[in-house]
This record gives sequence, structure tokens and C-alpha cells, in this order.
Amino acid sequence: MSKDAELVKKLKDSKLKDSAFSELLDIYQERLYWHIRKIVVTHENADDVLQNTFIRIYKSIQNFQEKSSLHTWMYRIAYNESIRFLDKNKKKDYDNIDAISESNLEVLFEDEYFDGDEIQKKLTKIINKFSVKQKRVFQMKYFDDLSFRKISEILEVSESTLKSTYYAAVKIIEEKILL
Amino acid sequence: MEKSTEHSNKKSFLKEDVKDGISKHHNKYLGTKIPEGYFMKSKISILDKIKEDILIEESKKTKKQLVFWMQPQFKFMAAATLVFILSLTVWLQNMNKTNAINETNLEFLVFSDDVLLESLLVDESNLDEFANVILFNEILVKAELSEQKIDNLVLDNLMLGDSLLDNYIEDGLIETIFL
Repeated sequence: MSKDAELVKKLKDSKLKDSAFSELLDIYQERLYWHIRKIVVTHENADDVLQNTFIRIYKSIQNFQEKSSLHTWMYRIAYNESIRFLDKNKKKDYDNIDAISESNLEVLFEDEYFDGDEIQKKLTKIINKFSVKQKRVFQMKYFDDLSFRKISEILEVSESTLKSTYYAAVKIIEEKILL
Repeated sequence: MEKSTEHSNKKSFLKEDVKDGISKHHNKYLGTKIPEGYFMKSKISILDKIKEDILIEESKKTKKQLVFWMQPQFKFMAAATLVFILSLTVWLQNMNKTNAINETNLEFLVFSDDVLLESLLVDESNLDEFANVILFNEILVKAELSEQKIDNLVLDNLMLGDSLLDNYIEDGLIETIFL
């Protein structure tokens, strides 16, 4: 039995649920935070969404049917919570939910918890100009450190498509950064 | 600026793995950071929020339990009692009808056996009218008969009395009484 499967079993057991949930937070809190932060931009927003995400995970773990991995399932919840947050805050520009708009870039650069230099700002701007799909693939692979197999499971896209998308993105960044 | 130079000199920086953790990786390439000790504080805050939510849900359940007439057991009992009362009412009404019929039949029996047999051939809608006619006729006939009997008795008595008082009564008196 894999570590995740064992954790799920404990989470579904009412006696072990609380300790298992604490363990779950230790393992996945940081990963999910960064996944959320890249969608909702600021630390303050990411903090709110992260809390909502874990509360939702706690409440719906009994309904988790284990058709996908625990990680994939939580990633989807985090993504949905982020979209719900943006929707709630009247940011309904759906084309730009993943691709942070120019105004949101300004919000990011002015955020208390951003201390990027020029090259980092440039990288952020380049990524921002990617298509929604290319941006998500690049961020999940490069920043969230997920395997192609895991990304394929989350986005329901073939691994070969993901690889070509990712390497095309890397090529663009290298060319533009090193210019 | 040192960071920028470092990045631009690193031709293959995008090929690096996430060695020092996701947070450092994000800070290194995107300039995004988090408050110190954030994940520990966030974990405590999430666990507290979950406990709070559980307490709120439990208190809601307790409140629901206090309103006893909303409990399912009580609803079933109330429904069963209502059905019983209705059934009893209908049954009692039917009982009264049966008694009324029996009483009517008894009256018929008193007057005549034939009336009972006739009543079986009468249509239900005409039964009341039939009963009235029979009762009226029977009363009239019996009243008439009993009146005649009384008259006869009076006359007999008078005749008897007269025979004893032959000496005192004239023939004219008898004629007077009969007229």
C-alpha cells in the first residue's frame, strides 16, 4: 500500500482522522500554497484560499473515491477554490485567470511578499504571455516540481503533448532571458 | 543585481531541479516569498478553523435535537396518532348508522313482518319516504283501531250499567246515547 493510500485510509477513519490530517498538512501544505499563489497572485489571497482548500479537503475526504491519486484530487480542489475565490472577488476575466493580467502583474510586483529583481520580473512577464495551457504546464513542471505523469493525470492531457508544450515554453524563456 | 547577473550567466538555469524546496525555488526564480514561519502558523490556523467549524456544526445539531417536534420519531408518532383518530372517527360514524338502521327495522317489526320484507325490495334512495309512509299508515290504523275499541268499551259499559238501572232509564235515553 502506497503512503498516500495509507494516509487516505487513516483520514477516513474517524479515530485517526485528526492526526492523519495533521500529517497531510505537513506533506502538502507548501505545494498547494504555491499552486494557489500563482493563480491568486498575492500572499494574502493565497492564505485565504489555502485555508478554504484544506477545510474542503477535511470535509469531503469521506467522498474521495480514490479513482485518482490523493495529490491529484487535492490539486483539483485547490484549483477550484482559487477560481471560486477570483469569481467571488469579481475577477471574472476567465481568459486571464491563469494568465495574470497586466494590472495583476502590477499587484504582484507591489505585493509585500514580492522581492523580485529585474530578471525575475522579466521571467514573470514572459510566463504571463504564454497561453493558459502552456503556462499551467510550465508552472506545474518547473515551479511545483510535478512529474509529467502527475501533470497528465491532473490536466487529463497525454504526456507526450505535455512534454512538447513544456519544452517549447522552456525554449522561449531561455531565448528571451538570455537575449 | 547580483542575482540577475547570476541568472543570465546560467544558460541552463531552467534545467535545474527543485533542490532547496519549493518556496526557495519560487523565491529564486519568481521573487515571490512568504512570511517567516508561515506554514507552521498556517497549519495551526487551519486546524483551529476546522475545530471551530466542527463545534458550530455540532451545536447546530444539538439545537435541532432540542426542537423535539422536529425529530423524525415524533413525526412518525404524530402521523400514526392522526391516522388512528381519523380511523376511529370513521368507525364510530359507521357504528351510529348501523344502530339507526337497526332501530328503524325494529319499528317495522313491531308494526308488521311484511314491512321488513317489503323494505328489502325498496331502493335505498326511497327508503326514508317508504319508512315515513309505513309509519304514518301504521300509526293511523292503530290509532283508529284503538279509538274504536275505546268506543266499544264505553258503549259496553254503558249498556251494562243501563241494564242494572232498568227501572230508572227510559228507552229514549238509550237512543240519545247512541246518537
